[in-house]
Amino acid sequence: MLFKLQKRTLVVSQIIGYALTIFGGITIILVTTQFYFDIKPLLSQQTDMFKSKSAVISKNISVFKTIDKEKIYFTNKEIKELENQSFTKSISKFNSATFKINAYSKKTETIPVFYTDLFFESISDTYLDVETDEWKWEPALDFIPIIIPENYLNLYNFGFAESQGLPVLSKNTISQIEFNIQVSGNHKSKVYKSKIVGFSNKVNSILVPSEFLSWANKEFGNLSRNKTSRVLIEFNDPSDKTILEYFNKNNYSINKEKLEFSKLVFFFKSAMFFVFFIALVIIILSISFILLSLNLLIQRNKELLLNLYNIGYNHNRIAKFYQVFISLTTVISIITSLIISNFIRNYYLEKIINLFDFTANKNYILLFGISLILILIITYNILIIKNIKKIVIPRNEK
Amino acid sequence: MLIELNNIKPTYMSDAEISASDIYMQESVLFEKGKKYLIKANSGHGKTSLLNFIYGSNNNFNGTINYNGISNNKVFDFRKSKISYVFQDFKLFPNLTVFENIQLKNTLTNNKTVEEIDIFIEKVLLGHKRNSLVKNLSLGQKQRVAIIRALCQPFEFILLDEPFSHLDRENIKLITHIIVREVNKQNASLIMTSLDEMNVLTFDKVLNL
Repeated sequence: MLFKLQKRTLVVSQIIGYALTIFGGITIILVTTQFYFDIKPLLSQQTDMFKSKSAVISKNISVFKTIDKEKIYFTNKEIKELENQSFTKSISKFNSATFKINAYSKKTETIPVFYTDLFFESISDTYLDVETDEWKWEPALDFIPIIIPENYLNLYNFGFAESQGLPVLSKNTISQIEFNIQVSGNHKSKVYKSKIVGFSNKVNSILVPSEFLSWANKEFGNLSRNKTSRVLIEFNDPSDKTILEYFNKNNYSINKEKLEFSKLVFFFKSAMFFVFFIALVIIILSISFILLSLNLLIQRNKELLLNLYNIGYNHNRIAKFYQVFISLTTVISIITSLIISNFIRNYYLEKIINLFDFTANKNYILLFGISLILILIITYNILIIKNIKKIVIPRNEK
Repeated sequence: MLIELNNIKPTYMSDAEISASDIYMQESVLFEKGKKYLIKANSGHGKTSLLNFIYGSNNNFNGTINYNGISNNKVFDFRKSKISYVFQDFKLFPNLTVFENIQLKNTLTNNKTVEEIDIFIEKVLLGHKRNSLVKNLSLGQKQRVAIIRALCQPFEFILLDEPFSHLDRENIKLITHIIVREVNKQNASLIMTSLDEMNVLTFDKVLNL
């Protein structure tokens, strides 16, 4: 009887409207949040180079600079200025060899004879992305370890070796090849044994230990020529917009691809946040809407509810119908959105797994959904009781 | 149960309005078990207010009301089993049928069986209206529904607020008989308000409000 009576007080269209909006909002929130968690490792994998938050800076080379080479070097003032920028965490200069270097090999079974001119640079060890025990040099040793960029190897394997009919080399094979390095200058010359001990993704240069380079520059080189044309900057926040602005303004060149990707990540995150925010607004509106509807419903049926109270139904009993009804609607809406969200997740996971080497993150949908159900139901129940109590119980009850 | 009113005065009435009252501003007014009281006053003298004070649905009064010697602020709990009330404005649910209106109250206590309720409905000559919606009844019919609804619960006091205002003489006689039988059966007290003397029923005390 009470059910029949109270059922008539509900406005079905309002309940359906609430159910649909809360379903829509929560589905979007669940999917975007889960998608963000799922995709996050993929993004950080891709931005791994940026985990180090560093980039190599040089000056753009223009027609004039090919004539006046001095302009490609950083002045001390410019380096100081770079150091003082808010985005700069630390800065490290590249040292260049100022002497002549040749590399050559003796004929072996696997390696053809080669002879080439080379250049060396060095950088502080803390910025290296290669870990090896062989990365050390002492004057007493006749061995120089070398690190080359990983893309040199790719260039050789897929470009040079392919076109010249030479064998392709794995990192491991290369690391085992010993060759000779001859350094000369200041009317002196010395031959060292050498090996490639690592491949860098970060630094696009042929590196030797900085101890060796500073020693050899003194020994064979021309110290007055020791100028800086490249610096490695470590950023506080690589997604800082001022970085690109500053470099464009000063005509410095940076590996933009990395920054482009981080920009892309930034846009992606912004878009996700935007969708999340819109969904949050939808949810907040739908909750406000149902609370307002309930309030109106209670006001409109004030007399009926008061009569129930007058004949002996207490406020808890009167509120129970609305509590159960709203709770059930909420639970059904959210559970439906849980199912749909899981379905959508499985769908996109299938796509992503096909495209990338990817392991799925933990599924937070259920946890998130259940928490939402609990929070909403508790809130609704408390508010309904409060509103009904306000209506039926005489104000100045002693 | 014994109900005692001490120095009761509605907050919204002036002293002048209640100067000649047997109840308002009296040090002690007792309503005893098993007795029948008539509270008589013209319109606007606070008859309904007084019953609402006793029933706990209006608290705008000064003074205290004691139930069995205790000033109880949980009067609400009495509505199920100790105090029954026939409201002047009936407080029926227009979209429920006659039977449903009575049953809605009865489900709180399960005091009467469906058959007993049907007998009541028959007795007040509403058998043919049992399944009609209350909104389609005349005022007199509604009044009879309100009265039997009040009788279907256990009570120690029954408050009747001008219960016969829409009934003809024949019906008043009939209904009075049914009320008195139920009151006696439950060994309860009766407090009735009226504009005039009521000679269909013998009261233990008549109070002018």
